[in-house]
Amino acid sequence: MMTSKTATIQAPEPSALSTLIAASNDSSPLSANTIQILHNLQHQHSWTSLQVHNLSVDEAGVPLDPQSSDTAPFPLISGIPPHRVYTHPDEQLFMLERNLRDDEIAPERTYVLPAAQGQSWSLQKLAFAFDSLPVPETESDHPQPTIRDGPENKAKQLAEYYERRKQARATQEWGGKRLLLSMVDKRMGGEGTVVYYIVQEGVVKPRQN
Amino acid sequence: MDFTPSLPIPISFISGSYFLFSIDDVTYLRREHHICGVLIGTLPQIPQQNVFLGLPLQLMPEEARLLVEKGVAYIVDEAKAQRDGMKALMEADRQRYLQDLESQGLQASRLQATRREQQREEVLKKMEKKKATKVKKDSEQKQQPVPAHTDDAPSDLEMFASSPQPAATPSGEGQSSQASVPPSYPLFTHLHSQGYYLSPGLRFGCQYLAYPGDPLRFHSHFLVASAEWDEEIKLMDVVSGGRLGTGVKKGFLLGGVEKNAEKSQAEGQDTIRTFSIEWAGM
Repeated sequence: MMTSKTATIQAPEPSALSTLIAASNDSSPLSANTIQILHNLQHQHSWTSLQVHNLSVDEAGVPLDPQSSDTAPFPLISGIPPHRVYTHPDEQLFMLERNLRDDEIAPERTYVLPAAQGQSWSLQKLAFAFDSLPVPETESDHPQPTIRDGPENKAKQLAEYYERRKQARATQEWGGKRLLLSMVDKRMGGEGTVVYYIVQEGVVKPRQN
Repeated sequence: MDFTPSLPIPISFISGSYFLFSIDDVTYLRREHHICGVLIGTLPQIPQQNVFLGLPLQLMPEEARLLVEKGVAYIVDEAKAQRDGMKALMEADRQRYLQDLESQGLQASRLQATRREQQREEVLKKMEKKKATKVKKDSEQKQQPVPAHTDDAPSDLEMFASSPQPAATPSGEGQSSQASVPPSYPLFTHLHSQGYYLSPGLRFGCQYLAYPGDPLRFHSHFLVASAEWDEEIKLMDVVSGGRLGTGVKKGFLLGGVEKNAEKSQAEGQDTIRTFSIEWAGM
């Protein structure tokens, strides 16, 4: 009786995340962490067009020094969030003056730097990540915004906004390069929560939240 | 209102801290150099009243160093200045005593000289009388003049007249050149040069609070933490700093000197890299 009963008990199905990690070719902890964060972005935060970039080669195709342990290659995730993740306070003021809402502006590709709690970080590593980050793309490929009310006026204001943003990117007055620093507690007792912090290069004034 | 104190301003260095005791200096530095410091003076009778504090103003070592490097102020080691001042005072006393002695000596010698003169005249008169009687007694005897006793005590006068002039008193300013500062000093100067007012960050568990203008008019923008280029940063610190900062409408600013030999040599100075961190809210 006992033996037959234990035989019927099956090991629980591995979670969707575990299967995903197991299915990947790379079994390094860094890779597993990256997949976990990507999974979280995709399913909890509904990001789309997610990609994993490997920073051993920068965007211009120049290989980075693999000898130095501090600048060892690390992965970077990019994707398009369902709504804007960050609005600079001056940008927000500009939008308010033109009666533009957050959801009227197309979300852009945002970069996410995966990290795990307990992982050692330094200014040098952070600077390296920022240095290898591509310059924000110019406004050639933003999708046509959906126009609901007062079509002509709205289109004009949006065009004005995109023009201004282009300008602000060149001068960095609405902040420089930015990325999301994501952290997972993977140590003993870590329950898989992922937290996100916006990191920007330079002295960028805080939002009025 | 726009009073400018005589520069450079003395900063008192007392038992490891830097203080300003003049309200004119305090207002001038705050107005012109964005240096606020912290008022720490209480009322002697009610020391527990610590909401509104007055002079003296305590400066962070970074502030003192910055002012000295700008040439606006200099540091006075108060203990040393006090000791030297006392020494200078004693020296002055000694000089005055010597001068007194000298003038007393001069007077005494002058008195003595006049007395001798009188005595000599008396003696001369007596001799004249004697001579006159002698001439009367035996007129054929040849007259012999008595030699005048002229060389009496000139040495005293000359000795005191050639006494040395009192030496110029030392300035009495125990100037110690530089304040020793924590390694976060480059970040401090970087933010200060961008027009930020910086105050100690104890209230928010960071190194500095950076205000975009005078702290009386603005809320601070950043909780500032400094790190060495290759110093390990704990992600937990980033989380706590970032989350606390966002909770109080501030950013968490992490920065330090970039250790890049080529770059710093080319520019001749340190390059500072800073990163502003905020909670993403997701």
